[in-house]
Amino acid sequence: MPVLKVEAVRKEYPGVVALDHVDLTLEPGKVHILAGENGAGKSTLIKTITGLVTPDEGRIFIEGEDALAHRALFEKIAYVPQELNLFAPMTVAENMFMPFSRSGFGHVTVSRRAMERAAQGFMERFGMHARPDQRVSQISVPDQQLLQIARAACRNDFSVLILDEPTSSLTANETAHLFRIIRTLRDEGVAIVFVSHKMDEIFDLGDTVTVLRNGRSVGTHPMSEMTEESLIHLMSGSNIALDQRFQPHSVPGEVILSVEHMSGPGVVDASFELRRGEILGFAGLVGAGRSELMQTMFGYHRATAGRCVVDGVEIPPGRPDRSVARGMVYLSEERKHHGIFPLLSVRENISVSLLDQLARGGIISGKRERSRVDDLIASFDVRTPSPEKKIRFLSGGNQQKAIIGRAMARRPRILIFDKPTKGIDIGTKFQIYRIMQQLAEEGVGIILVSSEMTELQRCATRIITMYERRINGSFDQATTDVNTLVGAIIGARETRHVA
Amino acid sequence: MSLDTTIQAKPPVPPRASNFRVLVGRFAGNPLGGVVAALAIIFVVACFLSPYFLTRFNMTIIARSLAFTGLVTIGQSLLMIMGELDLSVGAIGGLAGIASGIMMVQYGLNPWLSLVLCLMLGAGCGLLNGTLVTRLRLHSLVLTIGMAGVYGGAILVVTKGVAITGIPHEIAFLGSGKLAGVPVPFVVLLVCLAIVVFVMQRTPLGRYVYAIGSNPEAARMLGLRVAAIRTAAFATAGFLSALAGILMVARLGSAQPSIGDTWVLSPIAAAVIGGVATTGGIGSPLGAVLGAVIIGIIENIIVLFGISPYWQSIVSGGIVVLAISFDALTRRYLNRGA
Repeated sequence: MPVLKVEAVRKEYPGVVALDHVDLTLEPGKVHILAGENGAGKSTLIKTITGLVTPDEGRIFIEGEDALAHRALFEKIAYVPQELNLFAPMTVAENMFMPFSRSGFGHVTVSRRAMERAAQGFMERFGMHARPDQRVSQISVPDQQLLQIARAACRNDFSVLILDEPTSSLTANETAHLFRIIRTLRDEGVAIVFVSHKMDEIFDLGDTVTVLRNGRSVGTHPMSEMTEESLIHLMSGSNIALDQRFQPHSVPGEVILSVEHMSGPGVVDASFELRRGEILGFAGLVGAGRSELMQTMFGYHRATAGRCVVDGVEIPPGRPDRSVARGMVYLSEERKHHGIFPLLSVRENISVSLLDQLARGGIISGKRERSRVDDLIASFDVRTPSPEKKIRFLSGGNQQKAIIGRAMARRPRILIFDKPTKGIDIGTKFQIYRIMQQLAEEGVGIILVSSEMTELQRCATRIITMYERRINGSFDQATTDVNTLVGAIIGARETRHVA
Repeated sequence: MSLDTTIQAKPPVPPRASNFRVLVGRFAGNPLGGVVAALAIIFVVACFLSPYFLTRFNMTIIARSLAFTGLVTIGQSLLMIMGELDLSVGAIGGLAGIASGIMMVQYGLNPWLSLVLCLMLGAGCGLLNGTLVTRLRLHSLVLTIGMAGVYGGAILVVTKGVAITGIPHEIAFLGSGKLAGVPVPFVVLLVCLAIVVFVMQRTPLGRYVYAIGSNPEAARMLGLRVAAIRTAAFATAGFLSALAGILMVARLGSAQPSIGDTWVLSPIAAAVIGGVATTGGIGSPLGAVLGAVIIGIIENIIVLFGISPYWQSIVSGGIVVLAISFDALTRRYLNRGA
């Protein structure tokens, strides 16, 4: 018997039909992949089956009973959201059992010791390498991710576990560990819902896949019948050539950015040069210092040594405004912290970096602003019911597209992309690659920080590797094989300096 | 945040909503809807409560007393939109007032020159606050509690608690005069409000203030000069407080050490009533000043009603809480329909 059955669920928001008669059936002991592009309705569907959103039409059965009539049944669904939302200054055990009254640890006083003992059991089950009395801010990111799962799962007998892109901040080893935990749970009879954009993970883990497109279900298939091409075709509704490459066809021009012996928080003695019209890739493990180097040379962090020179002019340390004035734009991977203005509308989020161009005599022309923003929304395919919608209500991928549109609209001369396709569907990904290629051919110097080797091979002309806060290699993409690159990333001794 | 665009961009009204809800919705879709509605209700109630309320004489009193806290409210709401708070605005206003008294009376300086110098002093105090907040990365709430002590203490040191009398008559009209029947301080308030609202809605700088209030880290990543804009906002708040202080001196004809004592908390309440979020990023100085009008009317009614002075604080405090709840309740009512 299916543990969860969704029948013809429909949910409409002002201006958008988020779900249009979607069906979903979850079997115990199976991993069900939920696939689809950004804004296809995956998040709304998840919110519907966790009881956070009540559908306008349709029915939901949990273990054969009508869940919309008996809402307590939604307790059977454990949900791990994409973004970590833990209480960082509190301990692992406290995070796991909050609210204490519900978990039975807080009648009058909270029993620390009993709670930590109970937490220990869950931590072993979920393979966490931490102590229950450690503060969450002091445990590693993968442990935090596992804690999120443990917290969702410890409360009661759950029969469905929903994981929304759980691997986006994990390394390969950490992902493998997480997958072992997921498989154990599956073998214990839990129905798993797994949302991911990474093809290798989908094919590695999935038993069944349901593909959503524009709020409709375009089919549920056993994973064994799917190929990568057919899945992408289902998701995007169009054919994407997976072997496509996006290296710029132009010859790199003069040096536009040179970084000399730069040190700062998380980076030691880094030197490199960027030329006009090239896409320079940065490869390395999570924590190797790539983002730190970018943020230090950009001026977001203060450099302790070294220089960053753009067109022969030195950028003073700690002055991102000067970098921007010289035509440098940095797109952070931390969209929530460094990218969007959550309380402002999509229009205001996009136009904020263009206001000096939109103003005449110091006064913003509302008409010009609106038409410029409308153009950008259209050309970057930002799906929003209205430009006036607050950006925090958009899906993650659409927020990202809005921010990329904002960055491009300034016509940057140096563009730093820090993992721009994190959590982005493959159609949009290729769209971003095409934009990068086109900009590079127009003479923009582009830096692409990525943790996906395929992404770097698809786009970069040259690849710099970092290991333990230092640059340890520079390779010409065309003449270097993957093994050499991977060797440099994990700090193997032999590294060749080609370029 | 601008008024005109928000009205235009309102999403289509869902067909299921009742007519009344549609009406309320259209009103509340405007960020200022809540405070305007609350103001209208309180105004009508006040008219019924007291026959003296809607007299020319009483309106003039309200307008005049509103001008001083109103000016401080503009500055404070700017800071609140940016996610900051300045608890020394009252002390800055008092210090500027006292300094103008000393310059004019004890040193016999030209009154107009004194005014300009004191406005610069106020802006300078704000600049100091802003510089300390941005350079030392201090929390503005805590820092300005300390700075309020410093500026307030300076007042006591120079005056020894005694008022400075004998302010030149030339500037008396700034406090007591009228322009076309409107009290001069109120005209000053309207001019300042118009300028600030224009800057906030129609210039890049104003947008940057909202952006910084919404996400300061993203603003820095975007290359905005966050520290400079923050400091400038503190300086503006200091300037406006000093302006209020000087107008008060002109009104009283003497520089009292107690000027500004009540200018700290009520502007914050006014801003919140007017829809400014305490966490930053949301609201407008116009709403904040409308909030100050609400508080002003409440205080006026209490006096007209002859409520015992011992009870006044409880009554006005209670009504402020009601006024703040009003916005939240309207929103909840609307969301039920969505």
